[in-house]
Amino acid sequence: MRRFLIVTGALVLILVLGVLIGVALGPVKLGADQLLSAILMRGDASAHVLVWDLRMPRVVAALLVGTCLGVSGCLLQSSTRNPLGDPQLFGLGGGAAVVQALAMAGLLRTGTWGLIALSIVASLIGAGAIALFASRQGISPARLALIGVSLSALAAAVATGILAEARVFSQQSLSFIGGSFANRGWADVVPALPFFGIGLVLALPAMGKLNALALGDRVAANLGAEPKRTRAIAIAASGILGGAAVAVAGLVGFVGLLIPHLARLLVGHDIRAILVISIPLGAAVTLFADQAARLLFLPSEVPVGLVTALVGAPLMIYVARRVL
Amino acid sequence: MIVSLQSLSFVSHGKMVLSDITTFISDRALTCLVGPNGAGKTTLLRILGGELRATSGAFLIDGSDASAFSQKEVARHFSIIPQDVQPPPHFTVFELVALGRFHPSRRTLWWQLSESEHDAVRSYLARCQVEQLSKRRVEELSGGEQQRAWLAFGLAQEKRFLLLDETLDGLDILAKQSFFKLLKELAAEGKGVLLTTHDLDLVTQFADRVIVLNGGRVSYEGSPNTNLQYLFSPTSG
Repeated sequence: MRRFLIVTGALVLILVLGVLIGVALGPVKLGADQLLSAILMRGDASAHVLVWDLRMPRVVAALLVGTCLGVSGCLLQSSTRNPLGDPQLFGLGGGAAVVQALAMAGLLRTGTWGLIALSIVASLIGAGAIALFASRQGISPARLALIGVSLSALAAAVATGILAEARVFSQQSLSFIGGSFANRGWADVVPALPFFGIGLVLALPAMGKLNALALGDRVAANLGAEPKRTRAIAIAASGILGGAAVAVAGLVGFVGLLIPHLARLLVGHDIRAILVISIPLGAAVTLFADQAARLLFLPSEVPVGLVTALVGAPLMIYVARRVL
Repeated sequence: MIVSLQSLSFVSHGKMVLSDITTFISDRALTCLVGPNGAGKTTLLRILGGELRATSGAFLIDGSDASAFSQKEVARHFSIIPQDVQPPPHFTVFELVALGRFHPSRRTLWWQLSESEHDAVRSYLARCQVEQLSKRRVEELSGGEQQRAWLAFGLAQEKRFLLLDETLDGLDILAKQSFFKLLKELAAEGKGVLLTTHDLDLVTQFADRVIVLNGGRVSYEGSPNTNLQYLFSPTSG
């Protein structure tokens, strides 16, 4: 418990630092006094717009998406007993990607709220497929991962096909496929908040039972952990969170896969501790990845997924060698 | 406390897996369920654990008909260690046994075990002689040590009956002997232990009672001091 509190405290400090970097740095320079005034909503109008309307929504979007992906990966990994559990890899984000691609191609005309809702419905369809396969007695983690990867590849092919057919190329499609927080405003973030809340509210009460699922379905059922119901809830929550993440930022890879493993290294393998720590950890990793994507290549920027993959791949190899 | 089965049958995909099983399992006894592969031993354990429902017949726990109980209600009486149980990845022995204290209505697991819960877990670790392994990962232990850890997990649930499904497969004879001895002691202390096994010599040596299943029927029940090998033959039922 002490270790958990220390890690949580450290992550909160890192997050505060990340938020400050997110609002303070950028192509337009802000002095410390200007920044402070703008944060306290007392500065001049241009600084206020810069901080509150341009930079802060992007920071919040990164925090939100990082949390969604971290928790979503954690729920998938624990409920399916599969270290490869990741909303992107298991195809949950794939359905949402198709919806987003349809919208980008102009084939789906709906407002931001509708688009997020449709993305989540599509993600839940993928989640339903995974839940169905995962509940089959004796399905191995490897087979489940293969099914997930196949679903994911299928959805990615459909989404890319839609974008190609509609000739949506260059920066827009790259931002979507690689994931990006560029130009995200409150209008993109706020509609995702209720779904984010629903996902977390669904997930958190199931946490204790997820621990028992690690023992296998028969033992978990004997303990009263209702494995099928618990898994269905966890995967549905994962689908909602994964879909919300894709709707806000496109396909940001590696976060959902990596965060639960990193969390396990930090706080042990009580699923409740992993799940709770995945919130600040996913948020921090995604926020700092976005700062790197935004600031290291000024005046242009790269997709955030590129940074998460560049940092995540070696980290994942380290975790795989050390823990798995 | 006695669990009695009355004319219990189970049909799966049109095939009679268990037929007219009438027998009993009592606490304070090590009962061994033996029989050839496919005799219905695991199915019987799954019915007792509430995973499967009998097609006909009844099963009573201390006189109350448990046939219609939900799995949750049945599970209050039985700790089950299934045949194909896999060690949970990364868990230490202590954490595994602490999970035995899980109850769905409780919010805490080992993350915030009370001091008395800690003591209980430690006592079960000691009872199964795995206290010194408590910080080791379960997956790193030998087969015999793993089985003792699972047994401590079963005991930590503090239920009246322990159902163990061929948990000794793959262990060497010394490990099996010592495990049987431990089960016998636990039975003497009050637990009802039901073990499915193929180790007839050890059954004869340690069991208080034996039930022989053959082709889904009880072909013998009673003292283990009999020619069990003979009872396995298809014509003996």
